[in-house]
Amino acid sequence: MRILAVIEHDGSSPKPGSLAAVGFAQAVAERNGGHVASLVIGHTVAGIAEILTSFGIVYFADSPALANPLADRYAQVIVDAVSRYHADMLVAASSTYAKDIVGRAAGLLGGAMVSDVVAHDWRDGQLLFVRPMHAGMVTETVILHGDPKIVTIRPTAYPQPIAMETQGELFPIAVQDPLPVGMMWEHLESKLGTRPDVTDARIVVAGGRAIADRHDFERLVGGLADCLDGAIASTRALVDAGIAPNSLQVGQTGKIIAPELYIALGISGAVQHLAGMKNSKKVLAINKDPNAPIFDFADYGLVGDVYDVVPELIGKLHEP
Amino acid sequence: MKILVPIKRVPDPDHRIRVDLQRIALELSDVPHIINPFDANALEEAVRIREGPVPDAEIIAIGIGDPAWQQELRTSLAMGADRAIHVGVSGPPDPWNVARILRAITERESPDLVLMGKQAVDDDSNQAGQFVAGLLGWPQATFVSQIEFIPLDPEPSIAGHQLRVARETDTGIETIRLRLPAVITADLRLNEPRYAALPAILKAKRKPIETIPLTELNIELSPRVERIALQEVSSSRKCQYVQSVDELLDQLFLNRCL
Amino acid sequence: MNREMLTRDIYGNIDSVSKVIFYILSAAALACCAAGIWHHVRRWRREGRPFGSPSSPAFDWKGIFSRFWTRVLSQTALRRGRVGAGWMHSLLFWGFAVLFLGTVLVSTEYYAATLLGRTAGDPLFHKGLYFAIFECVLDLAGLALIAGIVWFAIRRARGTSSMAHQGSDWLVIGLLISLGITGYCLEGGRIVLEQTPAPALSPVGYVCSLPIAAADPGPAVVGRMHRTFWWIHALLALGLVAIFPYSRLLHALAGTVRLMATPRALGSMEPISIEQVELAGFIGVDRLEHLTCLQRIELHACVACGRCQDVCPAHIAKKPLSPRDVVQDLRFQLDQWTRSADTNTDPGAVSQQSLCGAVIADETLWACTTCGACEDICPLDVGPLTFITDMRRFFVGDGRFRGAPAAALARMQRSGNPWGLPAEDRLNWAQDLDIRTAADGGDSDLLYWVGCAAAYDPNCQRIARSMVRLLQRANVPFTVLGNEERCTGDSARRMGDEFVFQELATRNIETLHRYGIKKIVTHCPHCLNSLRNDYPQFGGLFDVVHHSELLLDLIETGRLPIDGSDLFNHSAAIRATYHDPCYLARIQRISQPPRQVLDHLLTHGHLSERIEMARHGRETACCGGGGGRMWFDDTPSDRIGIDRFDEVVATGADTVAVGCPFCKIMFHDAASDRGSSIQVRDIAELLAEKILQ
Repeated sequence: MRILAVIEHDGSSPKPGSLAAVGFAQAVAERNGGHVASLVIGHTVAGIAEILTSFGIVYFADSPALANPLADRYAQVIVDAVSRYHADMLVAASSTYAKDIVGRAAGLLGGAMVSDVVAHDWRDGQLLFVRPMHAGMVTETVILHGDPKIVTIRPTAYPQPIAMETQGELFPIAVQDPLPVGMMWEHLESKLGTRPDVTDARIVVAGGRAIADRHDFERLVGGLADCLDGAIASTRALVDAGIAPNSLQVGQTGKIIAPELYIALGISGAVQHLAGMKNSKKVLAINKDPNAPIFDFADYGLVGDVYDVVPELIGKLHEP
Repeated sequence: MKILVPIKRVPDPDHRIRVDLQRIALELSDVPHIINPFDANALEEAVRIREGPVPDAEIIAIGIGDPAWQQELRTSLAMGADRAIHVGVSGPPDPWNVARILRAITERESPDLVLMGKQAVDDDSNQAGQFVAGLLGWPQATFVSQIEFIPLDPEPSIAGHQLRVARETDTGIETIRLRLPAVITADLRLNEPRYAALPAILKAKRKPIETIPLTELNIELSPRVERIALQEVSSSRKCQYVQSVDELLDQLFLNRCL
Repeated sequence: MNREMLTRDIYGNIDSVSKVIFYILSAAALACCAAGIWHHVRRWRREGRPFGSPSSPAFDWKGIFSRFWTRVLSQTALRRGRVGAGWMHSLLFWGFAVLFLGTVLVSTEYYAATLLGRTAGDPLFHKGLYFAIFECVLDLAGLALIAGIVWFAIRRARGTSSMAHQGSDWLVIGLLISLGITGYCLEGGRIVLEQTPAPALSPVGYVCSLPIAAADPGPAVVGRMHRTFWWIHALLALGLVAIFPYSRLLHALAGTVRLMATPRALGSMEPISIEQVELAGFIGVDRLEHLTCLQRIELHACVACGRCQDVCPAHIAKKPLSPRDVVQDLRFQLDQWTRSADTNTDPGAVSQQSLCGAVIADETLWACTTCGACEDICPLDVGPLTFITDMRRFFVGDGRFRGAPAAALARMQRSGNPWGLPAEDRLNWAQDLDIRTAADGGDSDLLYWVGCAAAYDPNCQRIARSMVRLLQRANVPFTVLGNEERCTGDSARRMGDEFVFQELATRNIETLHRYGIKKIVTHCPHCLNSLRNDYPQFGGLFDVVHHSELLLDLIETGRLPIDGSDLFNHSAAIRATYHDPCYLARIQRISQPPRQVLDHLLTHGHLSERIEMARHGRETACCGGGGGRMWFDDTPSDRIGIDRFDEVVATGADTVAVGCPFCKIMFHDAASDRGSSIQVRDIAELLAEKILQ
């Protein structure tokens, strides 16, 4: 089996999530004796391609026309690369980049696609994919019919790839002329930080009324989330108070999420909030009020002031 | 201008979803169904386009499913769609076949815009919009949180109407321009959909719903994804209190939460 | 003195030419008045409402007449809230009424005597003791009228009240004052001219006569003076008649009709059927003709006194809602419509102006908590709230509603509760309590209606848990509906979604009937009101009590003994104030039982003090959670009712006792927002703490 991994990058280095996709590809290839190649698309991406050679062959498409990720052009390049490599499987990390671009490429490649894979297995030589659905309430196991198979994986579910003993070859992909021109790039308003999206993250750290201001929110909620590669979230109270932005609100009027671990910091547990996080797999509540209703919805409870507990927790997580 | 809005009927995400004993199907008989929330955003945006920049826009809601889907199509008409098309199939097909059916409808209706939800909240695939765009070779904009109609660009390489859209990506808000016809998938922040109360639904009764059998579209379903098992994620809990941060970390590691 | 001598000559000193001119002018003034009234009546009677009960209600003459005495003549409602203005209006009204009645009596005497061929000076009944009392009463009535109108003129000039002003008001005030003054001048002139015996029978008139008598200009001059006053007085009176329907005076007619009609029942709403909506193509009110006849009369009854605005919690919270302006804006449209119809000969012409979102802004419609304060305070029984809920019905039915409150409606419909939580979780709060559901079968005829807030909101679940433990302690057998209970639909109905409400109501009624439930206790005033006022419209007749009533009964009959052992343990005692929920105190008029329960705790040392707030009982102020406001996304500091929370804190109490889960949630949020440590507890929680410690 020939597996091609689409690598998302920030202009200078591959994103860790994409490397986890390579890790997934290696795991699959190891089992069935396949090969793994990487694909980098962009402008002045030779350096990134070079980094990736430690995981095997690298295809790269480098052109000023590919300076920004526009789905119609990028998908075209992916289709070309799949055909060049004769890939049986196309993998990528589940991100808005891959959902957009790889999704379109999958439409051009026959639509045998599975998204957000968190585990895989083999049965009678067939690959089984496990993925969450219904906002994480249910997981389904599926098989794909048709080739190539297109898979996006949850980066948190797979390890980083193992470097090869020998470096892989670099193959430039000539950019087809003309590229589609129906989409035009204008600009990107960058988000601060690089935390995962609250709806996608495996771990979510949420702050409630106990958090006094914006600075503390970043220090406690943000600090703990960064230790755990988690996303940050908040209750309506903090959004109302202007401490957290609207996009972070979890609850009846905000986002409905179902992470593996939900850490509630100083959240009392109003029903409006519970509606948004009740499907989390595990819930950890830290609150100084032992009667806070959130403890009724938690798997682990620690009665204590978040201002004392969280810094200690961050300190201990930083210890090797 | 014609806008096609595919509508999916999904189980109410507020409700607990259970898996049957064979672990192959969901028990949905007691669960109320709704219009997929992202599709409601798409439909709302189409109505706003008609209320705003393009007053002569015609909005067509498409449902692909069993006869129960008529209910969501009625709601769509109450929310502002002008007419609806119901493609009769026994159950919702996988994204690939949804995309094929939408391509066939698009070829019949020749819309200028396919406006749909970024994903369905039941299977959470997030694929159909991109598939359709790919199959049609149309420009696409996914996760859109803002749509703006812009005057015709004199630039010769871009012909026809143009849209400027904001996309919510992991890296930030991306702004791109699209040439029509195009496919757009809506994110939650695009707008606040209106609520179709019963009187609005009664009023929309006069609007037509056309039913098209699959055979008329010359499509034979060939699923790309086959489900072989389902598992419920347990949600009942009993709080286990810990006394210290150390004990907490022990527990979290022990139970593989971290 | 010979009593028989006491009389006066009607039309004395008025020559026949003047009389003829007077009659011509009277006819003109009456015609002007009648035409104005006719224009209004035509609009009032305009049919165009596709809803409501098809037949007009049977006239309950006895009720109508009794209400004329109890509601119109007594002027009682006017003296609520604004005592000074109320008394002054009463004086003005009684004075005017007496003078009007006097004029009628005089006319009767005059025409009867003329018909019977009696000569001047030989009256039928206008003489003797009757005449003495007549003169005295009318003289003093004039004083009452002038006192009232001068008071209003001063108040208006100072502009201190929330009364809305319009230019023509000064005309009315001026006319009334001049009418009073010229009346006395006229009387003074007559006393001098006729050398009336016992002039002190009309004391004010007599005082007015003194300067004339002192000047002694001679009978001819006095005669001319008297005639001049007579004419001025007559012209002013006729002017008043002529402008009656074109000025705020119209409220005397419209208001009287409104007060004599069926009194408003606070907390109830008119049911509308799906068939009616299918036929009409819409629901609610968007045009003037969609209003009921009585509602259009109400628009003219309103004098914009602003009492409603003063008590409106949304207005106090600086939301864009004044109930006064809602009514006055609609009235303006009605007058426009009436005016345009003058050039339009078609009596069935429809009004062109859409009301929802155009005349009344969306934000105005949705700022209302349906607390009922405006309708409760209105002396003329005008219903701003009903206008608002009627327009909300149109707004929602027209598919314009969106956002968080719309999501709550959708969730009520799908899941039977506003949070969209699964019905199977409805009894999670009672997992460790040994309670029976109606489905388990039970020999109890009492059902405890839990409501959504106490079923799902962790904070409110404590109310239900306390309640259950108290009932168990008192050995009161009861059942709950458990997973079969659904939201009563109270807020759905008040948000204007009649059919989500009806769906929930019919389902609940069906469930209650299936288990043969007759008696219900609930701690939620919204559920209580819906069960009492809404459900009978759909065949659900139950005996429903608030938990405070039941708990009080259990205490007083000794079934819930409060132990007095820590009578002197004041260190642990609570300083509490009680907040009256609108739907309990104002709409259901239940304000004493919760206080009495607290007073029992006071007697037994669990409370050290019960503090009363200025706004209490029927005059309570809304927490901001009613009418669907609970589901709106505003920040706590912008919420309606934050002023009420501040009032609670200002009492210095450490606990605010409530009798409503919505109040509990709203105050709890407000306390967090204000950083206050005040405890918000339901009376059942406080009682359980003491009894089950």
